[in-house]
Amino acid sequence: MSSPSQATALATAEAVTAAAAPAFAAAPELPDIWPPVRVRRGLIGFLWRHPAIAVGGALVATMLVIALLAPWLGTVDPTALAPARRTREPSAAFWFGTDMLGRDIYSRVLYGARVSLGVGFSVALLASIAGLTIGLVSGFFRWADGFIMRVMDGMMSIPPILLAIALMALTRGSVGNVITAITIAEVPRVSRLVRGVVLTLREQPYVDAAVAAGTRTGTILLRHILPNTVAPMTVQATYVCASAMIVEAILSFIGAGTPPTIPSWGNIMAEGRALWQVKPYIVFFPAFFLSLTVLAVNLLGDGLRDALDPRMMKRL
Amino acid sequence: MLNYVIRRILATIPVMAVVALFVFSLLYIAPGDPAAVIAGDQATPADVERIRQSLGLDRPFLVRFGEWVWQILHGDLGTSIFTNLPVADLIGQRIEPTLSLMVVTLILAVSIAVPIGVLAAWKADTLIDRAVMAFAVLGFSVPVFVVGYLLAYVFALELDWLPVQGYTQLRNGLWPWLANLILPAIALGFVYIALIARVTRATMLEVLQQDYIRTARAKGMGQSGILFLHALKNAAVPIVTVIGIGIALLIGGAVVTESVFAIPGIGRLTVDAILRRDYPVIQGIVLLFSVVYVLVNLLIDLLYTLLDPRIRY
Repeated sequence: MSSPSQATALATAEAVTAAAAPAFAAAPELPDIWPPVRVRRGLIGFLWRHPAIAVGGALVATMLVIALLAPWLGTVDPTALAPARRTREPSAAFWFGTDMLGRDIYSRVLYGARVSLGVGFSVALLASIAGLTIGLVSGFFRWADGFIMRVMDGMMSIPPILLAIALMALTRGSVGNVITAITIAEVPRVSRLVRGVVLTLREQPYVDAAVAAGTRTGTILLRHILPNTVAPMTVQATYVCASAMIVEAILSFIGAGTPPTIPSWGNIMAEGRALWQVKPYIVFFPAFFLSLTVLAVNLLGDGLRDALDPRMMKRL
Repeated sequence: MLNYVIRRILATIPVMAVVALFVFSLLYIAPGDPAAVIAGDQATPADVERIRQSLGLDRPFLVRFGEWVWQILHGDLGTSIFTNLPVADLIGQRIEPTLSLMVVTLILAVSIAVPIGVLAAWKADTLIDRAVMAFAVLGFSVPVFVVGYLLAYVFALELDWLPVQGYTQLRNGLWPWLANLILPAIALGFVYIALIARVTRATMLEVLQQDYIRTARAKGMGQSGILFLHALKNAAVPIVTVIGIGIALLIGGAVVTESVFAIPGIGRLTVDAILRRDYPVIQGIVLLFSVVYVLVNLLIDLLYTLLDPRIRY
């Protein structure tokens, strides 16, 4: 089936020939069967074809702006205590109300975005770097594979939240330690994914060609293998980011995460827990922001997966 | 067949060994001095030293690891620093609520997730399919405690249909027991349902395109017979696999669900242990759950031959 633009081009071409050789009758104007397709190009076109990336990306960007600009968005000091105005309902003065220590929940939720996004992005970055390294070594050097994968299997047998809890029980609560604990829990899954990709890549003829040409192993890994892991890795990194944000909130919620002095969504919910039957808004505002942010990152991941790997599209 | 079973069981031994080694070495991997962290900020140097000795941090790693494994093989999971009771006893006292919650969640999740996954695959690219997929994305995004609070708020506080919190033992009657577990089970099962439904749909989509499905349709078989008798059987292996893998989600989520719904199970034991920095308890719980997880997945591997006679080993 020829596309309408081709049909128009044909018609024009015939019209030109007809004009050049007046001996023939002018070709009849071909009717437009389809209206012309508007091919959108560039960034706009890409976002138009992948609405999940557009919506998810826009939401993530909004959250990032909120996190970065938290001090200038009508917030007050999120840790300022004011016993006189404890547990106020949401109002014009306190948009999301105040908690049992009189702290402004709107300010705390906005500042909480910094912890959530910070932990999510850091874990995604660190787990990607560690997972790429381990996966590349394990997938390319067969002698290391058996040992590394047994270790990863063992680590994967420990439910990630429990692993993070155990690590947090042994360290002082700090954002850095939360990031480390969640990264350790996420690395095995990332390594396995990268290893799987590397195993198929190293059988490719172009890798054989590189080996035959005497390319050094390091160069093969960095120039020929690594670039091809970028697409699946990017998708995986968004899922790791989403999962890390949930784990951070869970850890803070049960008292094994971010220290209570730093407002994070998990902490705000943990503090609202005692009163939630009478003052549910203390729990629901951070809960809403957390869910929305994780949803945005997941949408972004699904969109990237469909865009980067069309074969996977529609399958999962 | 028997050969395979034996080989598969033997293959879990190295995994278990790595799990044990890893859980044990957490004490040594953790940055800083774990003894000082566990002792707390007000501890005297003597307190820290006492804890260091009770954790065995003053002796060589391999010697201590050997002793620890030997104790575990004899059913001794260590002693709580806070209560001085054996960890195995503490876990034993709290196991019923957690086990109840997990079993109810498992049954509920599988009986919801598989039918909606099948439905989505059958009605692929329709509104029903989109709705199921949208639900799946939501399931992966809304954390377990958020679902828990929403459910408790709507069905317990506002509508007053079910109890808000707490747990009733099974011996006090089936309904009181179940009534307390329905909301926690839905909350805990939310992400699990999303996961199973997604995999069920993907596998069913592939199976439904095969020739024998067309044959079944051509011979006049009913739609539900095709879906559930013919197609689901062949889609069973990936579905059962993901049910097994997803148990990890249940174990991690149970800790949080139990604190939201005030269920006195192992999750609460974990949270209490975190607040008191009672590391032996946490270590025992992590080890126990990891072993259970490995064993469940071993069982599922062995089930494959029953589910799919084409699989021979």
